[in-house]
Amino acid sequence: MLQNYVPILLFLICGFLFGGVLVGAGFVASALLGNRRADSEKQSPYECGFEPFTDSRMKFDVRYYLVAILFIIFDLEIAFLFPWAVSLHRIGLFGFLAMLLFLAILVVGFIYEWKKGALEWE
Amino acid sequence: MVQAVIFIVLAAILIGSALGVISARNPVHSALFLVLAFVTSAGLWILLEAEFLALVLVLVYVGAVMVLFLFVVMMLDIDTTTMRQGFVRYAPLGVVVAAVVVVEIGYVVWTRKLGVTFGTPVTHAAKYSNTRALGDVIYTTYAYPFELAAVILLVGIVAAIALTLRRRPGTRSQNPAKQVRVSAKHGRIRLVKMPSGRSRGGEAP
Amino acid sequence: MSELLTKLHAFWSALTTYWISLPFAWQLTLKSLAGIVAIMLPLILTVAYLTLAERRIIGFMQVRMGPNRVGPWGLLQPFADVLKLVFKEVILPTNANRFLFITAPVISISTAFAAWAVIPFSNGVMLSNANAGLLYILALTSFGVYGIILSGWASNSKYAFLGAMRSAAQMVSYEIAMGFALVGVLMASQSLNLNDIVLAQNGGFSHWFWLPLLPLFVIYFISGVAETNRAPFDVAEGESEIVAGFHVEYSGTAFAAFFLAEYANMILISALAATLFWGGWLSPVQGWHFLEDTPLAFLVHTSFIWFAVKTCVFLYAFLWFRATFPRYRYDQIMRLGWKVFIPITILWLVLEGVAIVLKIPPWFA
Repeated sequence: MLQNYVPILLFLICGFLFGGVLVGAGFVASALLGNRRADSEKQSPYECGFEPFTDSRMKFDVRYYLVAILFIIFDLEIAFLFPWAVSLHRIGLFGFLAMLLFLAILVVGFIYEWKKGALEWE
Repeated sequence: MVQAVIFIVLAAILIGSALGVISARNPVHSALFLVLAFVTSAGLWILLEAEFLALVLVLVYVGAVMVLFLFVVMMLDIDTTTMRQGFVRYAPLGVVVAAVVVVEIGYVVWTRKLGVTFGTPVTHAAKYSNTRALGDVIYTTYAYPFELAAVILLVGIVAAIALTLRRRPGTRSQNPAKQVRVSAKHGRIRLVKMPSGRSRGGEAP
Repeated sequence: MSELLTKLHAFWSALTTYWISLPFAWQLTLKSLAGIVAIMLPLILTVAYLTLAERRIIGFMQVRMGPNRVGPWGLLQPFADVLKLVFKEVILPTNANRFLFITAPVISISTAFAAWAVIPFSNGVMLSNANAGLLYILALTSFGVYGIILSGWASNSKYAFLGAMRSAAQMVSYEIAMGFALVGVLMASQSLNLNDIVLAQNGGFSHWFWLPLLPLFVIYFISGVAETNRAPFDVAEGESEIVAGFHVEYSGTAFAAFFLAEYANMILISALAATLFWGGWLSPVQGWHFLEDTPLAFLVHTSFIWFAVKTCVFLYAFLWFRATFPRYRYDQIMRLGWKVFIPITILWLVLEGVAIVLKIPPWFA
């Protein structure tokens, strides 16, 4: 089984190397062949011509956290669904009913968040 | 032999990034070190032929939990100097917790309780599906803990909403469905019958 | 002449004996590296020509020419673009986190490429025959979000940060719908291995999963469009409001890396849609025996051609969407992902489960 993962490991390494070489080549080529005239105006963050006057790392709507938390929960649900889907034909009716109950409990949660307005993006 | 080399490399990266988590100055860097730690431990699990668990570790912890961590860490203005002060104050507590964990792990490994065994992991045929092997037991033999997991997730949903859902007063939003449902006949335009400006028969003055 | 042939033959046999004498680990490594090159080079070329195709096709849809000056029919345009990008000045914004600023595009591109390790190009022709292939792709896609978040944060620019946050929230939302749709495929195929999933669709056009899983198929592809931040879901880079989103501050090859990753992801989503729902390398006219003795016989057999054709159809749909639909508003995007797609997928999974337990023909017997 492990030999199936050797190509994957190598591919990940090659992907990183390729990306690194691509970005690195850009630095080298632009330094050698292109212009490299940096000034403070050019290097300041782009704000449609205005001078940036506050730090860009600002406070954010709490809704983004809520989306991320709900995503964790649903992602776990998907993680539980994967083995079930693969072996559904072997575990038969009992396995199906077990998952039905699982989904029913989580659908209650889903309805709760819907009714509470957690899915509204105002 | 090759496996041993891969194990040592992964384990070294894992320990290095774990040290990075607690020693990095910038909290975003700490979070990213934690991501690296998760990815390398997923690699270690694959070495143990637990592919489903390894990939779910990446999927859930790297893909979901750490995204939340990054959301939180990036958007809070964390003042590193105040964090340093806190470090000294909480260091003894941290040391105690770490010592307890080390003792626990040592106890379990030393006494070989909880089914801890040593030796080479079981190797499987190329067609062995770790996922199917798990699926065969989770929903039948372990159906009760499985349903408990659903309840825990439900509690998680409710808690998350109770903690973070805030209605911002004064936001204005449109209701697109209502906009689309508008028809000219009902209330939008009022057609009024009016006599024409010209009087019947004669010229206008 | 014959001397040369014998020399070549001797060289060849020496090479094969050397190959056999190599330890298994080396053989595996060399084979994998060859496979990686064989996947990455055509992929990069496809990306290059996809950018040209996009500009030409959208040009024709909008009744204009598109790039047609560099080379015959503009065919050398992608190379001109690459040359231009390589020589552009690389700008590191002030206060940017340099290391992460440079790492972010590398993460984006490596995840976009590495997912191709488990895609079957023809029967059994795949780099890694891993059993958990689909899970691996899902895990890598969820890792891809880091490239975007990190680039937005490391740039220290408001537009980049806004774009990154929007894009991250959008991607995670649609990943749920996508995950549910994939579960439907798994239920029908009973395997996580992509080659087995294709084999489970054996039997011609009507046996492919798009028919029994029609809602999941549609949801999968729309989620794929949203996942790659393509039009009409491209609020992350919405030019009219936040200029270019997470890669505002990037220039030169670092920008090219994001561009490459976006298009490689488009191709990946199309290839996955073809593999999971349209039977991958299976022939749609499978079993048309009257074609066997004609020159068209190759159409009946399973081959890479069918995989490529199906992938191209989906890629064309990507471009078509971009030329057709106006951009969605952000609240509409979130509403579609959470309130429309998730309920439909859950409902369909339950129905499919019933069909499997009751063994309802023709698909689940």
